[in-house]
Amino acid sequence: MPAPSASLDTIAVGNAARVLDIAGDDAVAIRLLEMGLTPGVGLRVLGRAPFGDPLELELRGYRLSIRRAEALRVAVEPA
Amino acid sequence: MPASDPAPARLTVALLGNPNTGKSTLFSALAGIPTRVGNYPGVTVEEKLGRFTYRGSEIELVDLPGTYSLTPQGPDEQVAVDVLHGRQPGVPRPDAVVIVADATNLERNLFLATQATELGLPLVVALTLTDVGRRRGRAIDSAELARRLGCPVIPVATPRGEGLTDLKDAILGTPTAGPPRPLPLPADPAHAHRPAAARTAIARYAAIERLLAGITSQIRPANQLPEDTIDRLLTHPLWGTLAFTAVMLAVFSSIFWLAAPLMDLISTGMDGLSAWVAARLPDGAIRELLVDGVLAGVGGVVVFVPQIAILFLFIAALEGCGYLARAAYLMDRLLVGVGLSGKSFIPLLSSFACAIPGIMAARTIENRRDRLLTILVAPLMSCSARLPVYLLLAGAFVPDVAVGVSWLRLPAVVLAGMYALGVAVAAAVAWLLSRTLFRGPPQPFVMELPGWRWPQAAVVLERAREAVWSFLQNAGTLILAVSVVVWALSNYPRDEVAIAADAEAALATGEPEADVESARRAAIQRGSILGRAGKFVEPVVRPLGWDWRLGCAAIASFPAREVVLGTLAVLYNLPPEEAEGTALERRLKAARWDGTDRPVFTLPVALSIMVFFALCAQCASTLVVIGRETQSWVWPVVTFTYMTVLAWIAAFATFQFATSMGW
Repeated sequence: MPAPSASLDTIAVGNAARVLDIAGDDAVAIRLLEMGLTPGVGLRVLGRAPFGDPLELELRGYRLSIRRAEALRVAVEPA
Repeated sequence: MPASDPAPARLTVALLGNPNTGKSTLFSALAGIPTRVGNYPGVTVEEKLGRFTYRGSEIELVDLPGTYSLTPQGPDEQVAVDVLHGRQPGVPRPDAVVIVADATNLERNLFLATQATELGLPLVVALTLTDVGRRRGRAIDSAELARRLGCPVIPVATPRGEGLTDLKDAILGTPTAGPPRPLPLPADPAHAHRPAAARTAIARYAAIERLLAGITSQIRPANQLPEDTIDRLLTHPLWGTLAFTAVMLAVFSSIFWLAAPLMDLISTGMDGLSAWVAARLPDGAIRELLVDGVLAGVGGVVVFVPQIAILFLFIAALEGCGYLARAAYLMDRLLVGVGLSGKSFIPLLSSFACAIPGIMAARTIENRRDRLLTILVAPLMSCSARLPVYLLLAGAFVPDVAVGVSWLRLPAVVLAGMYALGVAVAAAVAWLLSRTLFRGPPQPFVMELPGWRWPQAAVVLERAREAVWSFLQNAGTLILAVSVVVWALSNYPRDEVAIAADAEAALATGEPEADVESARRAAIQRGSILGRAGKFVEPVVRPLGWDWRLGCAAIASFPAREVVLGTLAVLYNLPPEEAEGTALERRLKAARWDGTDRPVFTLPVALSIMVFFALCAQCASTLVVIGRETQSWVWPVVTFTYMTVLAWIAAFATFQFATSMGW
């Protein structure tokens, strides 16, 4: 049964989630995977910049900023 | 010395690591000041080499560009991969690789390290920031990690020099140690449908998790240390933006005001030197070439140094403590709308002081497309060299009336309008270019927000020194050459008979400030190639409301915009020292179209000149720096062309509109 999936963009600031999948197989997807956003990894949304974009994430012990456009491609389940 | 010591050897060692791992600090700690800094041929990737001797062995250190992965996605990764495979011309294939890995962020840093195990080169892992890691509660069993990786793992704390000797010993031991075995990557059938690069990335992280199992303690989550609170405040939409505004005000006012006394000092020094040289040489062409051509050109180059040094001190300090990435994070949304990115903000802001340090600051933008776009629009920000032009013309020709409230005067509004015009046009150009010439697949904006730490003084100073030196060495020589050529063009050929006649005629008109020497200067300039070019372009500038003198002054200001006032002064038979005085203002007001009593300078003409100078690319130094920074002559030509065309169109529209309004 597929896990209840949502895009990373919908996770509220302060909440944690687990990555399920990265959509697409272009350079953006590869870069996200290389930065550690691999299926199964846990992360937390630490904040959002003015106007809600980009997002600040914490994963694998470090902080990463990605734009909403990228966050929309990251499928997560709330954790 | 024991006889068993190995013979002195030479080793080439590459320093490879993620950005923000303390790689530059480690480079300085090992090799001191680099022996060579520049760009790899044909690309805008920085090349940095250093050398040190340890136990009789000479070690050449190659600092590779900071990169997250060896999968070539951009020029940085490409250069790193080429150097590591010995394919980069001019750089020998490294004998060993030192991986700089941030201990606070080991999983992601080991991604690059495990890729490096596949190179077939001996490796040493330098574990940096172990002290920060300890404070976060991370302990790493580096001996066990070394056993599992198959290569030495040396914890270092560079500010205190801890572990440096161990690291050097490990480097010397690499020829006998040999390359480690590549880390086996587990294949997961669940990801079989993905492309190879994605499959490898997923498998690599799975392998790293297994590699680290049991030898590291979990890192403490965020919001526990004081710097986490600072981070939350400084990235907060409201408080963070306020703090950002304060930081930017401090940076900007420093490059604007702190640099001013230093620049004055340089000008005074150069004037003194010119006077000294002039007093010791006989009158004639050689003296003029040396004093007005070469020395003036040298002064014109050196005068940029204070601004470049101050800006890069700030940038290096902000980058070193981790703020630069936060600044880009806060400003990103604002700039992404016009096709730029958050990292464009500081280069563009600096360009209000001077486009040259601004364009050089674009080095902090990793993304090539964003960097080029930023460089192309940076010269549209109204730099301090435009200010005297605005001030003179707005002061002399814009009526001093109140706008709405009594303290808001029209000249001030016009002045602010010139700054706004530059910003608006830059936004439009960036927007247009990002949707036409620079259109392409979406660029990933994946930016690490590095941990907060104190910037290292050595790294900060080195960064500023490097920026100043590369400017003087690469751009300075060419800027000097351009200014000497333009000097020659505005002084030759000289037909002494015609000059004497012309000067006498000018003096005969009885203009009050004219003296014999000024009249002669003006006559020389009128008869020179540039002077004639001014008359030649008159049909082009007449729709802007300009006479040939203005055309001439605009052309002569190609080396630098501020020259325009000096040229105008000379063309109106004033000594160039009068360029900012009221004498020039009076003379401009008195100027008439040749053979008529119609004044040249009216409000529409003054506005048209201001708009032209707000948008034109009359600054050879900027164009030279664009050429050097982009490693191509295409971009300076593009910049000059688009800005000149825009400036002409806008000046034309301004003049025609103002005239039709009867201003």
